Amino acid sequence: MRKNKAFSRKILALPYTVFMILFVVVPLVLIIAYAFTDESGRITFDNFRTFFSGGHNINTLMFSIFIGMANTAVCLLLGYPAAYILAKKGMGFGKATVLLFVMPMWINFVLRTAATRDLLFAMGINGGEHPYFSTMIGMVYNYLPFVILPLYTTMTKMDLSLIEASYDLGANKVETFFLTVLPMTMPGIVSAATMVFMPTMSSYVISDVMGERKISLIGNSIQLYFDQGLWHIGSLVALIMLVIMAFGSFCTETEAENNSRGGLW
Amino acid sequence: MKRFGALILCAMLCIALVPDVYAREEILRVYNWQDYINEGKDDDGAKIAESVIELWEEDYYERTGKRVRVQYDTFETNETMLNTLRTGKTSYDLVCPSDYVIQKMLSATLSGEDDSISIEKYDISTMTNYNRYVSPYISQLFEKNGWTDYAVAYMWGTVGFMYNPEAVKKEDVSTWDFFWNTDYKNRATCKDVSRDAYVIGSLYAHSQELQKAAQNYKSGKITADELQKIVNAAANDTSAENIEEVGRVLTEMKNNIYGFEVDSGKTDIVSGKIDANLAWSGDAVYAMDLAEEEDDKELAFVIPREGSTIWFDGWVMPKGANTALAQDFVDFLCVPEIAAMNMDYIGYTSAIAGDQIFDLVRENYEDGDGKYEYDLSYFFAGTLSEDRYDENNRAIIRTDTIGRQLTTQYPSLDEVARCGIMEDFGDRNQAVLEMWSVVKSNNVSAFSYVMMAVLFIMMIAMMASTIRRKTKKKRRMRRR
Repeated sequence: MRKNKAFSRKILALPYTVFMILFVVVPLVLIIAYAFTDESGRITFDNFRTFFSGGHNINTLMFSIFIGMANTAVCLLLGYPAAYILAKKGMGFGKATVLLFVMPMWINFVLRTAATRDLLFAMGINGGEHPYFSTMIGMVYNYLPFVILPLYTTMTKMDLSLIEASYDLGANKVETFFLTVLPMTMPGIVSAATMVFMPTMSSYVISDVMGERKISLIGNSIQLYFDQGLWHIGSLVALIMLVIMAFGSFCTETEAENNSRGGLW
Repeated sequence: MKRFGALILCAMLCIALVPDVYAREEILRVYNWQDYINEGKDDDGAKIAESVIELWEEDYYERTGKRVRVQYDTFETNETMLNTLRTGKTSYDLVCPSDYVIQKMLSATLSGEDDSISIEKYDISTMTNYNRYVSPYISQLFEKNGWTDYAVAYMWGTVGFMYNPEAVKKEDVSTWDFFWNTDYKNRATCKDVSRDAYVIGSLYAHSQELQKAAQNYKSGKITADELQKIVNAAANDTSAENIEEVGRVLTEMKNNIYGFEVDSGKTDIVSGKIDANLAWSGDAVYAMDLAEEEDDKELAFVIPREGSTIWFDGWVMPKGANTALAQDFVDFLCVPEIAAMNMDYIGYTSAIAGDQIFDLVRENYEDGDGKYEYDLSYFFAGTLSEDRYDENNRAIIRTDTIGRQLTTQYPSLDEVARCGIMEDFGDRNQAVLEMWSVVKSNNVSAFSYVMMAVLFIMMIAMMASTIRRKTKKKRRMRRR
């Protein structure tokens, strides 16, 4: 009986294992292999040197990280109060409003971005004159729902008696917020930040459309290299991004471990 | 059970027979740009007539009694096409790349360096329709560049500015300086293609010398050939100093223009976001038609006076192709009637001349007794029936308007005289690409050092806090 159980477990895991190997492990190995070889297949660090000797590549990398951080910050600043209000209101009202925030996500993302571009133009903000500003608006618009949802979920699970206790013990509103509400919603903040920061710095469609292709993020560099058939250096850039992402998720992982209550929505 | 067995036997027999059927039928594998042949569909994609491919299959059957099936695949960029050929997974008999890619493939063939993108030689003398109907202008161009034996031209055109005449003065847009003209700040877009942008930057950097050459040509001091050589040298100058200079002027340009685009230019000029954009002539004609029909807006096209480049797409046969079939197919495309069908469908300009093409142009653009006699003899000479020529043996279209569809589709002899050919940058391509990514990247170097410092501090802080927490946890566990 016991043996049988193990057997069936193995069988069940098989499809996913095959999928993992084919579409996760093999591509990863390929990217690493390409990043450290040249056209003739020799192992080399030349791609590294080419990438880091061009100051513009470091600029682009730093700028991408900056855009990612700025977008995360703005989204959190806008999304936190919104989620708080939603969670505090009566359930029925809250759900309807949450739906309003989520609904834009159901519309195709390319279409949505193109529409935002036209909308901003009609409002007198054109991407040609203000490429950075328009790009930020596009990014915030696209990623705001990803902040509100996890925050809303953690806030609805929040233990309200702790807030009451804080008032009872003589804390004022500001103290209560920083000492009870903020720590309690930390898991939500962490998962919101992960869901915004990493996709933002790797996206290039939004910056292309909103910034009229005057802004270049790290995703653009990869696309440019791959378009021209320069697989090796393109793979290296992809690998660098992968390392940054891995570091990012490592940090948030440990953070989430510390706050085992709540977590992802 | 017996019946079941019979069924299985039957199925096996069928499977065994299928490859046999296919083996008997010959296949021609064609790899072409998307929407780049008459597929017999209307605007909504519904099939209303036979496609050119089907017409050839029938025509071939009538002539030879053999059935051939065309396997037709499409690509979106030259680079995609090259990558497909390089992987060698699918082999093709016929491919339709652009000018510089044909050059690249040809030099790979002649040097024997890269077999995967090498091409076969045409037996041009057997291609009766091509020899009879190809425009003398195109065949001279091919002769001069040594492509005649390896490629057959399909569609061609120029690069210039498409603009809204209500918002932009013609004289301002008749020079590449337009992109740097602060009177039109944020009013124009450029193509987001490194090669096209490079050529424009280079022509702009050489503008004084080019304008002088154009004047000398006008006053008869230099011949058309000499002028073309000067333009070619300027457009394709990939010396290190020139790449640096082009990088500098393109960065200036980036700050003056509205932005870069790959396909939004047409709609943006109609919607009024911009007043001008860099356009390939074929796209410009399409946009003009669209603006006229849907928005009642008249757009115009101009080739700057410093000169520009001519582009073309042509058919080549990759190594190992079925050359007999491929040549037959290409020669069929050179029948003026078929070429006119394709031209009408795609909207680009065919490299083929001949009565049906001339009639199509007349039908589309002639205004009864228009003011101007637009002379297209350079393109149609020797390919038309007697009655198409006027008393001086010229091929004339009468028109009221210069600068719109007709002149975009068929530039005048003066205009083509100052157009060079964009060449393959060869091993300088990577240097050009590096320059281009510098232009496209954001000029924030001081900022990025600050950023790096901030990130470094954050990293250390995060690691420190993680380690501290972990040790705390361990201590706590131990206490328990």
